Formats: sequence, structure tokens, C-alpha cells
Amino acid sequence: MNSMIEIRNVNKFYGRKQALYDINLTIEKGMFGLLGRNGAGKTTLMKTLAALHQKKDGDITVCGIPIERAGEIRAMTGYLPQDFSMYPSMKTYEALEYLGALSGMKSATLRERVTDILHKVNLTEQRSKKVAQLSGGMKRRLGIAQALIHDPQVLIVDEPTAGLDPEERIRFRNLLCELAEDRIVILSTHIVGDIEATCEQIAIMDEGKILWQGTVNQLISNACGHVYTANVERKFMPQLKKNYIVTGMITQAEYATVRIVSDEEPDLPNAVLTEPDLEAAYMYCLHISGCDVKGDEN
Amino acid sequence: MLFTRECKKIFRSLTFIIYCAMVILMFFTQFWPELDERVTSSTIESYELTKISGEPETIMPKALDSLTGCYFSNTYRCYPYGLLKAVHLNSRDNDKIKGYIIEISGLNDDEMEKLKAASSFSHVRIGTNELESYNVNHVPLREDITYGRFREIMGEIDDILGGGSDYRPDDLAYKFSQEPMSHAEIIEQYDDFIEKDHIAAAYGRLLSDYLGIVLAVIPVFAAAALVTADKRAKMDELVYSRRISSFRLIFTRFSALVLTMALPVLLCASITAAKIMHMYKGDAPDIAGAFTVPGIWLLPNIMLVTALGMCISELFSAGMAILVQFAAWFICMMMTSSPLYGHIGRYTFVCRHNSLFYRSEFMEHYSDFLFNRIFYTAAALAAVLLTVIVYELKRGGRFNGLVLFGKDSIFRRKA
Repeated sequence: MNSMIEIRNVNKFYGRKQALYDINLTIEKGMFGLLGRNGAGKTTLMKTLAALHQKKDGDITVCGIPIERAGEIRAMTGYLPQDFSMYPSMKTYEALEYLGALSGMKSATLRERVTDILHKVNLTEQRSKKVAQLSGGMKRRLGIAQALIHDPQVLIVDEPTAGLDPEERIRFRNLLCELAEDRIVILSTHIVGDIEATCEQIAIMDEGKILWQGTVNQLISNACGHVYTANVERKFMPQLKKNYIVTGMITQAEYATVRIVSDEEPDLPNAVLTEPDLEAAYMYCLHISGCDVKGDEN
Repeated sequence: MLFTRECKKIFRSLTFIIYCAMVILMFFTQFWPELDERVTSSTIESYELTKISGEPETIMPKALDSLTGCYFSNTYRCYPYGLLKAVHLNSRDNDKIKGYIIEISGLNDDEMEKLKAASSFSHVRIGTNELESYNVNHVPLREDITYGRFREIMGEIDDILGGGSDYRPDDLAYKFSQEPMSHAEIIEQYDDFIEKDHIAAAYGRLLSDYLGIVLAVIPVFAAAALVTADKRAKMDELVYSRRISSFRLIFTRFSALVLTMALPVLLCASITAAKIMHMYKGDAPDIAGAFTVPGIWLLPNIMLVTALGMCISELFSAGMAILVQFAAWFICMMMTSSPLYGHIGRYTFVCRHNSLFYRSEFMEHYSDFLFNRIFYTAAALAAVLLTVIVYELKRGGRFNGLVLFGKDSIFRRKA
């Protein structure tokens, strides 16, 4: 059995509205980041991979198994949806045991596994707490725990860090990286920082299409020569946002230091070419793909 | 293992507690008083047992007297869907009734007027309704009127009255030929109670009669609550993405619901059995009847209501399941025909036998009763299978349920 996900020419419709356009992706073992704006089609793709949505056409195989064999796919996949919770009156370990039972695990192995997994996600102390009493970060970690309870070969996590504080977010990213050592982990997010900290392989999605696929370094190198910094008077900011893609801004009194993505050298007196970061590279990718990413509100 | 976890979930739910409370309440308020007094060959007289002769010679004069009295006051007592309704006809329809009375009695207009003048007038209070009534006796009956034609006329009158009247042909015997049992017949009832029902089966039937009323509707609350619990807890996708087959999951949940909801019934049966043991020490009651009769009688109720609740909740919503079940229950209850003992139809969902006695009447239709229970058990299993199909479709993203109201309503034209 191979350990990769292959997606070939996949299209998906909601009624008459097309949600995925001719998606082609190959995802290998390790962390894979799916980056895109809200509404880009990431969740649709994730649910399709988790056998929770039907594709219209194309082929998907998960570790050699066609996606149509939903039972087998679900057995080898752990899925953490974007918006989820668990029965609030259940205790943490009970919720895991329940979901483990739904995954066909036997009682004896399940108890041991629950203890291990709670330790892994640092929830041992919350073992007997009710789900309703957990913080947002704890709930997310419990979410990962439920996705891992049956030791899946593929882990699909959809926007897992949304709403987490910085400390929890870092802890969560580290956990995902650890988990990716021996399985495929697909991280779908619109937060560039999450991808930057965890993924080597990424794909960028927008409006149901894959705009770009490759490594983080390749994406950054594509943006080389197109990212500038400049000091401008704050009163010119609205005009600047209209003309350029502004990816960062630090204000000091009347002036602001801005980071700009541009095809050509900006027509600004003190613009300096600078090293792109992933955020700027992502914005540049969207820009050259024809997406409207300028910050003006007009 | 999954089964016990599902049971635990149900035990913890508020709807299950409410369910238990309602079953226990029904048990203690309606059935328990029946266990106040031991039935003996002398106390059975106080039950005022009646029999239905069903003889046309008894039915026709009584029905004609009643109909004539109603015609004079133009107030007809009807129970469409079981609720009392005083029907007042327009002059054209009331004249039609008069025509039928003349056809049956052979009286002419003048004789009718004289009869009215000679009849006493009174107000009869039924519940909160006060009805006008003429007390008419001994209206003559034409000699050549056959019972067949009489029933036909009564059927037409019932239609004019909108149904549910005292003159519905099937109810004529019960309404107009009831008479008290003789002492020998009452003793026969007692013998049946002791020797054939072995006491406990009779109480089992009565217990089933009362609990059957609530069990024809309230299991829907627990079923709807369990089915929609995943969605309410935002846990549906976590469950959908598990390995378990939809068939196994739905059947496990169904079995857990049926078992947990049978427990309060079992408790009631146990209390009944204990009380019978205590009350009838010398009569050697066979307490198995207190369990087997409610088991056969009530399990299909729990199963069907649960299955329908699950199915409709998956298809539409929990609210819709409760609404549909209540409507079905209401119609079933209202369509229950008199008397409330003896005959149980093949498709009567809410089976009634509101008496400790009349065993022979019950046994006369026992095969229909068994057919009835097997039919509803099969219907329940069919509904569970349909639930499995709907769940599988929803789980795979091929169906999202039918929304009747709001912005996602299926009745709204898609933009």
C-alpha cells in the first residue's frame, strides 16, 4: 500500500454552483499545507478527502484506496472539522472512548489508547473534566485526540488554530509536526503563519482552483524581486493601498513603514527591495494568479 | 460496548427523564387506583359490567327514540375525532332527518308534532357543554322496516351529522344495546379472571391499555433528541467520519432507545406484579402475565414511535418528528371506537382494553391483535432501515435533509 493521496481532475458541485475545478494534487507523507482565503474551497476539498462529500468526477485515492470505498477511507482517516464540539455533558475520556468505539476499537485497547492520546495532547489532567468545561485550546487538542484515537494513516485538520491564543497556537503547530512524522497530515488554513511554521509542501487554493503547488521555499523564491519596503507619510496610505498590495505596516508618528508586493519597482522615493516572507509570497502568488488582493476598500 | 455507551447517553438526557416521569405518572394516576381493591366474587359486582346484546329489536327502538329527541331539539351529540361537538343542522338537513324518522316510524307530521308536545324537555350537561334534549320514549317502529335498511338510514344520518355521531352503524350495538350482565355472567367473568387470566394477565392488559396511550407518542421525544444530539453538539461530522457502518450505528441507537424506554415499563410491571402477589396471596396468581402481556402489547408501540421519530428527525428535524407523531397520536386516539374493550383491529395502533374483564371478547380477536403487533413491529424495522438509508446519504454528503421552513426551505425557488 502506498502512503500518498492522489487527486486527479476532481470537480465538485453544490447544486449548479461549482465548488472545485479540476483539482490535481499529490500529497505525500508529512505535513501538507492547504492555504487559501475563506471560501477558497479548502473545506470542501478536505471533506471530500474525508469521504464526507461526493465529488462529481475525477479520481481520488488515499493510500491506494479509491475514495468511493468510504468505509475503508474512514477507517484510515482522522478528521478534525473546522467547527466542531462534543457532547458537553461527557467527560473528556468518555468522549474519546465513545468516538473510539465508533471507530471499531475494542474496550481493552481503547482505554489504553485514550490514556496515551490524552498524554500526547497534554490533556491528562483534564481527563475527567466535562467537555463543556474545557477552554477553546483544550477543545482543539481534544479534537486532534479524537482524530488520532484510531491511529489513522491520514490526518485531515481544517482551520485548527482559528480562535486560539498565540501560546496554544504554537503548541498546536508543534503537535501537528510531531504527528506528521509517521503519517500524512493535511493542514487547511487561511493563516499563513501556521503554514510557515509547520509545512514544507503546500498548495494554494482560490475559488475552487489550485493556484500553485510546491515547497514553501519555491513559493518564497517566486516572490523574490517583488517585495519592497518603503517609508511613506500616513496621509498617503489610502492612495498607496489602492495602487499596491500592502502586506505589512508599522506606523510611527506621521510616517509608516510599509511592506509592498509589486510586479515593478514602486514609484516611491525610498522604496527598497527586500527579502520576501511567506505572507508576501502568498500574496504575490494570489496577485499573479489574477486574484484581487489589494487592500483598498473602494 | 457501543450499545452501553448509547444507553448511557440516553440515561443522561433530560428527555429520557421526562419520558420516565410521564410513564410513572400515567401508571400511578390512572392504573394504580385499579389495584386499590382486590377483586373477589362479591366485589366484582361493583364493576357494573355490561354486555352488548347487539339485537336489532333492542337497538332500533332505542336509537329511534334518541334520534327523535335530537331532531326535536335540533341538537345532535357527535364525537368527531373523539371530542364532543353539539351539531345543529340547518332546516333543510333537519328536514331530511325528519324524513328518515317518518320512514322508520311511519308517523305523519301531525303525529310528530303531538309526540314533541308530549315529550319532556331538559338540559343535559356533558363536561362543560350544556345540550338541549327532548326525552322521547316509545316512538313506534314500522313493522316492515328491516335492520339492514335501518343501518343504511343511520349511516346516511351519520354522514349528514358529519360523522362520529351516536348513529354510526358500527357503534349502534354498543350505544343502544348495552345491558347489565346477569349475576351468572358476572361470576363467569370472575372465573375467567381467576382461572384463565390467572389474575396477572388481566392486570397486564389493563396496564398495557393505560401505558399504551402514552407510549404511542412520548418515545418520540427521546428518539428525536438522540438523533439530533450529534448535530446539536456540533459532533455530527466527527461521527460521520468514523469507521462504523450506518447500519450498525442506527440499529445500535435504535436498540438502545427501545431498551432504555422499556425499562420504566418493566418497572411498572414489576410494581404491579409485586402488588398482585401481595393482594392475591391465596389465589396463586401467575405473575408472568404482568410481564408478557405488556411486553407483547407495548414493545411494538415503543419500537414504532422510536423508529418513526428517528426517521423523521433524520429526514426533516426533531421538531417535525414530534409534530407528526403528536398529530398521528391525536388522530389514533380520537378514532378509537367504543367500547374500549374487546375488539382490537388489525391496524389499530393505540390498542385499548380498558377493563380487567371481558377476557373472552379480547381472545375472540386475539389473532387480529397478534397480527396488529407483528405488523407494527415490522413497520418499525422498515422505518429503521429507511433511517439507515437517509443517514448514509447525509453522511456521504449526498443529502442534507429536507428543510420546510426558513431560508433553506425546499419550497423556496433557488436563485
